[in-house]
Amino acid sequence: MLGIRRISTNRWYKKKNWILFAIFLFLVFVRISKGSFYKDLYYFISKPFWPGQFQKEILLESIDQEYLIKLNLLKKDNLRLRQILSLQESSNNENISAVVISRKTGSWWRQIILNKGSKDGVEIGNIVVGPGGLLGRVKNTSLFTSSVTLVTSPESKLGVWVDRIQINGLLVGLGDDYPSLILYSKDADIKVGDFVSSSPASTLLPSNIPIGIVQSIDETLKSKKTAKISLLAKPHVIDWVQILKVNI
Amino acid sequence: MNKFFFKKLSIVSFIFIPIIFLWHPNWIGFFGVQPYWPLFWLLPWSMINGSINGLIFGLFLGLILDSLTLDDSFTQIPGLIFCGFLFGRIKFHSDILVGHFRYGLICSFGSFLCGSLYFLQILFRNFTDSNFLILIPSFKNILAEVFLTGFFAPFFCSQLLRMFKFSGRKLQ
Repeated sequence: MLGIRRISTNRWYKKKNWILFAIFLFLVFVRISKGSFYKDLYYFISKPFWPGQFQKEILLESIDQEYLIKLNLLKKDNLRLRQILSLQESSNNENISAVVISRKTGSWWRQIILNKGSKDGVEIGNIVVGPGGLLGRVKNTSLFTSSVTLVTSPESKLGVWVDRIQINGLLVGLGDDYPSLILYSKDADIKVGDFVSSSPASTLLPSNIPIGIVQSIDETLKSKKTAKISLLAKPHVIDWVQILKVNI
Repeated sequence: MNKFFFKKLSIVSFIFIPIIFLWHPNWIGFFGVQPYWPLFWLLPWSMINGSINGLIFGLFLGLILDSLTLDDSFTQIPGLIFCGFLFGRIKFHSDILVGHFRYGLICSFGSFLCGSLYFLQILFRNFTDSNFLILIPSFKNILAEVFLTGFFAPFFCSQLLRMFKFSGRKLQ
């Protein structure tokens, strides 16, 4: 009466022999590989929860903040010392942010046009910097725009400072992306990778504006050494710039 | 307004040359160099209106473009005047396909001429013992400009020529 009606005479494990065999093979593989499969799987599953990643971000953020505070302190210190020594300075309060509305960074003409002009207080001779450092000088202003001669223009000639060897030089645009640094001393020990900034002796630029690094050194001429400079600020990709008003 | 626009199509298009020159679309460039835009307009204009008109508008173009560039010491006027005069002496070709390729060749030559004249001015100005440094980028500029101008000229010049002819017919 209570007998259960058997649907099939076959046992389930008889039907799924191949599954059992596959599981057995997998376990053998796990045994032989000493659980490496599981370990690797655990590696990927647990990766988002690792303490190291998160910790690294916090540390980097803290380091950034520390550098920012240090930079501000040094800037203030520098400004104070320059005031004491009555040296040339650029006022931070008079920076003007501008957008690049026209760009000629190839061909013969090396210039950019900005969306701020004389109406916004831009004057001829103002310095234009972008992310990375110096881009050029304002050559011409209209009511709403200002035209900037880039450092790469053949018209551009600026006094620069090579910090490692403590020497002044002249940065001359050649019409390509790498202006030439001319050092009027054939014994100058300039090396690839040397950092070039604006010269403290320059009457056109405020000092210590980053410009570029030495990319290659040309052959020494009669009384001077020349080198190609890779600019830190890339004018062909920069969209936003700062116009610095220089007090000379 | 529409009537004026169609009648003066050539003059209206003239206004766009400095705008394109300033726009400097990078996606059409090669090594950061652009085709020499004014020649695309100057060739059809000079072919239709003759050498003297070409020369005069070459001067006008030179004056406008010089005012847009910051290099006070160098000018594009001699090259454009010469090209305007030269283009005015070129006759139309009966075969349309050959005519198209001619535009490319003529504009390439014009671009080479303008580029060389500009380069000579730079060379003359910076005539010092280090002037060899500016030779390589200048050659690169000239060659890239010649290639691009010749490459795009068949398209732009034939379209502008058709436009100018169309606006001329309306005038009569």
